[in-house]
Amino acid sequence: MRSRPELFTSYERDQAPLNTPAKRAYFGLLLAGLLLFPFSVTAELTALGATALLAAVGAIGLNLVTGYAGQVSLGHAFFLGLGAYTAAVLSGDPDGRSLGFGLDMAIWLPAAGLLPALVGLLVAPVAIRLKGLYLAIVTLGLVFIGEHLFRELTAVTGGPGVGRPAAQLHLLGVDLGRRSEILGGYPITREIKLYLIALVVLVLLAVPAKNLARSAVGRAFAAVRDRDLAAEVMGVSLTRHKLIAFTISSFYAGIAGALLPTVTGFIEPGSYNLLLSVQFLAMILIGGVATLSGSLLGAAFVILLPRLVEELPRFLPFVASQSTGGVLTTFQLQTLLYGVLIVVFLIAEPRGLFGIWVRARNYWKAWPFSY
Amino acid sequence: MAGMGKNRILVAVAVLALVLTACQGGETGGGSEAGDVKVDIGVTTEPCPGGNAERDCIYLGVLSDLTEGPFRALAVPITDGQKAFWKRVNDQGGIGGRYEVNIETYTRDNKYNPQEHVAKYREIEPNILALAQTLGTPPTLAGLPLYKESDIIAAPASWWSGWEFEDVILESGYSYCTEAMNGLDWATGEFGKPGTVMAVHYPGDYGGDSAAGVAEWAKVNGVDFQASAHDVQTTPNAQAGNQDAAVEKILRADPDVVMVATGPAEMAEIVGKAAAQGFEGRFVGSVPTYNPALLKSEAAPAIKALYHFVAPWGPWGSDTPAHQAMEQAAGGKAPANDGYTFGWIWSYPLKAVLERAVQNGDLTRAGVRAAVTQVTVDYEGALPDKTYSGEPNQTTVRQALIVKPDESAPLGSSVHKDFFVGPTAEKFDFTKPCVAAG
Amino acid sequence: MEEFLSSTVRGLAQGSLYTLLGLGFVIVYRGTGVVNFAQPALMILGAYWTSYFALVVGLGFWPALALAVLVTALLGAAVERVALRPMVGEPVFSATMVTVGVFIVLQVVAGDLIGLELRQVGHPWGLERTEVAGVVVFHSDLAKLAVTATVVALLWLFLRHSRLGLAMRATAASQEAALALGVPAGRMFGLAWAISGALAAVAGMLVATGGAGFSQATTLVALKALPAIVLGGLDSVPGAVVGGPIIGLAEAYTKTYQAELFPWAGDNVDQVVPYVVMLVVLLVRPYGLFGTREVERV
Repeated sequence: MRSRPELFTSYERDQAPLNTPAKRAYFGLLLAGLLLFPFSVTAELTALGATALLAAVGAIGLNLVTGYAGQVSLGHAFFLGLGAYTAAVLSGDPDGRSLGFGLDMAIWLPAAGLLPALVGLLVAPVAIRLKGLYLAIVTLGLVFIGEHLFRELTAVTGGPGVGRPAAQLHLLGVDLGRRSEILGGYPITREIKLYLIALVVLVLLAVPAKNLARSAVGRAFAAVRDRDLAAEVMGVSLTRHKLIAFTISSFYAGIAGALLPTVTGFIEPGSYNLLLSVQFLAMILIGGVATLSGSLLGAAFVILLPRLVEELPRFLPFVASQSTGGVLTTFQLQTLLYGVLIVVFLIAEPRGLFGIWVRARNYWKAWPFSY
Repeated sequence: MAGMGKNRILVAVAVLALVLTACQGGETGGGSEAGDVKVDIGVTTEPCPGGNAERDCIYLGVLSDLTEGPFRALAVPITDGQKAFWKRVNDQGGIGGRYEVNIETYTRDNKYNPQEHVAKYREIEPNILALAQTLGTPPTLAGLPLYKESDIIAAPASWWSGWEFEDVILESGYSYCTEAMNGLDWATGEFGKPGTVMAVHYPGDYGGDSAAGVAEWAKVNGVDFQASAHDVQTTPNAQAGNQDAAVEKILRADPDVVMVATGPAEMAEIVGKAAAQGFEGRFVGSVPTYNPALLKSEAAPAIKALYHFVAPWGPWGSDTPAHQAMEQAAGGKAPANDGYTFGWIWSYPLKAVLERAVQNGDLTRAGVRAAVTQVTVDYEGALPDKTYSGEPNQTTVRQALIVKPDESAPLGSSVHKDFFVGPTAEKFDFTKPCVAAG
Repeated sequence: MEEFLSSTVRGLAQGSLYTLLGLGFVIVYRGTGVVNFAQPALMILGAYWTSYFALVVGLGFWPALALAVLVTALLGAAVERVALRPMVGEPVFSATMVTVGVFIVLQVVAGDLIGLELRQVGHPWGLERTEVAGVVVFHSDLAKLAVTATVVALLWLFLRHSRLGLAMRATAASQEAALALGVPAGRMFGLAWAISGALAAVAGMLVATGGAGFSQATTLVALKALPAIVLGGLDSVPGAVVGGPIIGLAEAYTKTYQAELFPWAGDNVDQVVPYVVMLVVLLVRPYGLFGTREVERV
C-alpha cells in the first residue's frame, strides 16, 4: 500500500533488501549517480573513484569475516597481495621481465579470487582453534610471512624496490586498458573503463554478500560472533561457518587485490604490509562493522581522505607537501587522521559512519517529534 | 537492511565535494598552431605562473625522491639544480626566444618506489610536454612503457646502461656498468690488482648494472668473483632495518675491493661496520653513494680511510664554463651536496632537444621525440658533446673521474683522479645493456 | 662450536628485549584484558626520548634514560586515560582496535620527531666486544641481558612484595572484588599502562644499542615481541620470560645457519621465523605454553 510503506503482507516483501518504494528510489538515484560520476569529473578523480569501488569489495570481504563472523583478521593485506600476484602472473606478458602467461581476464579474474580463497581455506583451521586476540596476532603473522614471500619470489613480484606490471585488462580479446577510444564520437578514457569495470564487479559481489548476510549463514555468523558456545549448543557448526567466513572473505580480497593495482598499472611488493591491513580495518571500523553500507561508506571515506588531505596545504600552513617546511607532510597527516578517526569512531560512534547516518535518518523520520 | 539505498545522500555529498575539487584540472589544450610552431600537450600560450608575461610556457614534469626514499638527500638538491638551470634559460630568453620553461608546477614525489612513480606519473602526464627529471632506475623502468606510449621524453636521474638503447631517455655521462669497470681499473692502478672483488648493491637495475660491470671486469681481468659469494644484494634501511647481513658477507668473503651501489646511509653503515670489525679492503662507491653529511656520522673515519667514489663529471668547484654558470646561478651559496651539479648537467640535453624542436617548428610531443636524434648536446665543457643517434657502442660515454671525501672542500669531496678511461671500459663491447631485461 | 655459542648469546640478548616488551604486553593484558598494539610506538618514543635527553639536552646517559622512562610511563598512563578508559565495558575487540588507532597516531608523531635519519641513544658501551669463555660477545648483548634481568627482578619484587603490586594483581584477578575492597581500579589500569610504557622505553633504548641506532622503521622490531608472548601465553608473566628467549634464539640460529641449511628460504628469514614458531606452537597449545585456558560461560 502506497501510504503504508512498512505494511508487509508476505515474507518475501518483508525480507527484501529494497522493500519500500523510498528505498528503491534512493537506490536508483545512487546507481544513477555512480554511473554519471566518471563522465563529469577529471580522469584523476575517476581513477580515485574506481579505487574506492574496488576497495569497497575488499572491505566487504573483511566485514564478512571480522564484522559479521567476529573473526578478527589482520591478515587482509596478505590475501590482497595473493590476488594481485595471481592476476598479474596469469595475465602478464610472457616476454616480460617477470613471470607471465598472457591469459584473458575471464580466466584470471576468477582465478585471482579462487587462489586466495583456497589459501584462506588452509588458514581457517588455525583460526578455528584460536579465539579473539590470539587469532588477531596469528593473522598479523600472516602479513609478515606474506611480505617475506613477496620479497623473495622475485620471478613473480620483481623483488623489493623493483616491482612488476599489474594485471592486463584484456577481456575476451578486447583491450580494456587502452588509453582512449572513440565510442560514437565520445572519448572513453582508460580511467572511465576501469571505473565501470569496478562498478560492475562491486555490484556483482555486493549483492551476494548482502544476501549472504541476511540468510541462514549470515545469522549463523552473527551467532558465532556474539556467543559462540551458545551457538554450538544450538547446532550452529562453528567449524563450518568459520571456514565459510574465511574462504569467502579471502575470495573478495583476492578479487579486490587483483583489480586495485590495475588503476596505476604497477605493483611493488612492499605495498602488502601491515599498514594496508590496518587501512582496510579502518574502512570497516569507520564505516560501520557488520553492515554492507558501512563497508562502502568506509571504503569511500578512507580512499578519498588522502585526496582531501592533499588539498590541505593550501589552507593549513603547518602542513607541507614535501619534507622541507611544515610540521607534517600530507602523508603523515593522512595516516594520523586514520588513527585518530579509528579511535574517535570506536569511542564515540561504534557503528561508524553508517551509525551516524542511521541516527540522522531516524531524527528526520520522527521530526518534528525527534526527542 | 535499510542500508543499501540510504547511503546515497552521503555518497552524493561526497561526489559533490569531489566534483567541486575536480573543477580545477589544468587544461593545456589539444593540437593547435601557435604562430608557426605546432604544439599539442604541455605548451600553453598563457605565460608561466610568475614568469614573463610575453612568453608562452612549456610545462615539464619532475618525478623525484623528495621525502622518504633512500636518495632524498641528493634528490632535493638535484631538483634545485634543475630549477636553477631552467631559470637561467628563462632569463636568457627562454627556448627559441619564445617559450619559458616551468618545472615546479608538476613536481611530484615518487619515494624511489616504482608503484608510487607510476601513480604520480599518471597524475601529471596530461599536462606536461616532457619530463625534466625521472629519478631512480627501477621507477623509471616502471614508467618507461608509458613514456613511450605517450611520446614523453625524459631526462633520467639515473645512469643505467640500458638508457643508451631507449630513444625517449636523454642520458648523460657514463653508465653504472662502465663506472664499475673504471673504478676497478683505477683501484688496480692505485692499490695493485685485487685477488677477489665483491659487489654490494641494491636490487634492480641500478645495483644490478653496477654488479654486472664488476662481473665483466672480473671476467676480463681474471679476478675472482663468484656470484653466490661475491654478489651481495641489499635493500634500503627502510626495508632491511640495517645492513648487518651485507657486512657479515663482506667479512666472510674478505675481498680486496668492494664495489658499492646503494644509497648513502647504507654505504656509510656498511663501510663503518666492516671497518669496525677489522676489514681492511677498499671500497669504491657508485656516484649516488656519497653524501657529504656522512662526514659527520660515526662512519666518517672509515669512509675517509677506505672509500672513494667514481663520478661522471667534475664536482662543484670544477673549472668549466658549465660549473661556473652553475655557481653563478646558485648565487654564490653552496648547495647541500653535488646533487645540485647532477641536476644542472642532466638538463642540458633536454634544452638542446627543445630548442631543436622549436627550430623544426614542431613542439608537439611527437615532434620533440623526433628531434632527439637530430641534436648534438653541448655541455659547456662539463662533458664532451653527445648525440643520441648512431651506434650505442660509439656514442656511449666511457670516461670517469675518481673523487675522494674531503672535509676541506666546499661540498665535501675533491677530485682524486681527473677524467680517464680504464682499459677494461675502453675495450668493452657495448651492444646491449649490461643488465639485460629478464 | 664457537659460532653456535656466540649465536646463542646474541639470541638470548635479543630474546631479553622481547621479554621486556612482552612483559609490557602481559601486564596490560592481565590488568585490562586488552592487547596493547601501541606498545611498539611507545618503544620507539622511549628510544627517541633517551636520545633526545642524552644527546640534545646533554644529560648523562643514565639520567637521560631515567627521564625517558618516566616520560614514556606518563604517556602510557595518559593514553589509557584518554583512549582506553571510555572503552571500559565495551567488547575487548573494540578496545584492542582503539590501541591500533593509538599506535598509528603515536607512530606518526614518532616519525615526525625522529625524522628520516638514523639516531643514536648515546649509550656508553658502543660496538666493543670482549671474550668470555672463548666466545666473542658484544658489550651491548651483555648489557641487554643485565638490564633485563634487573628489570624483571624489580618487577617481580614490585608485584609480589608491595602493596601497589598486590592491588594491581587484585584488579587483574577480579575488578569487581577489588573495587569492593577499595582498590581504585581506574588508577590500577593507568598504572599498568605506565609500567608497560616504562618497560617499552627501556626496551627501546636497548634496541638502539645494536650499533645501527634507531629510525622510524625500528618500530616493527617490537611487533616480534607478540609471537613471544603469544607463545608464552598472553596472560602469563613467566610465559613472557620464557617466550622471549625462545623467539630470540630461533631468530639467531636462523640468521646464522639458514644460509647453509635452507638457502631456498631466501634472505632475512629470521624476521619471519618468530611468526612461524608461534603458529606451530599455537596449533599444539592454543593458549600458549603457560597461558590459562579461558573459561567461557554462555
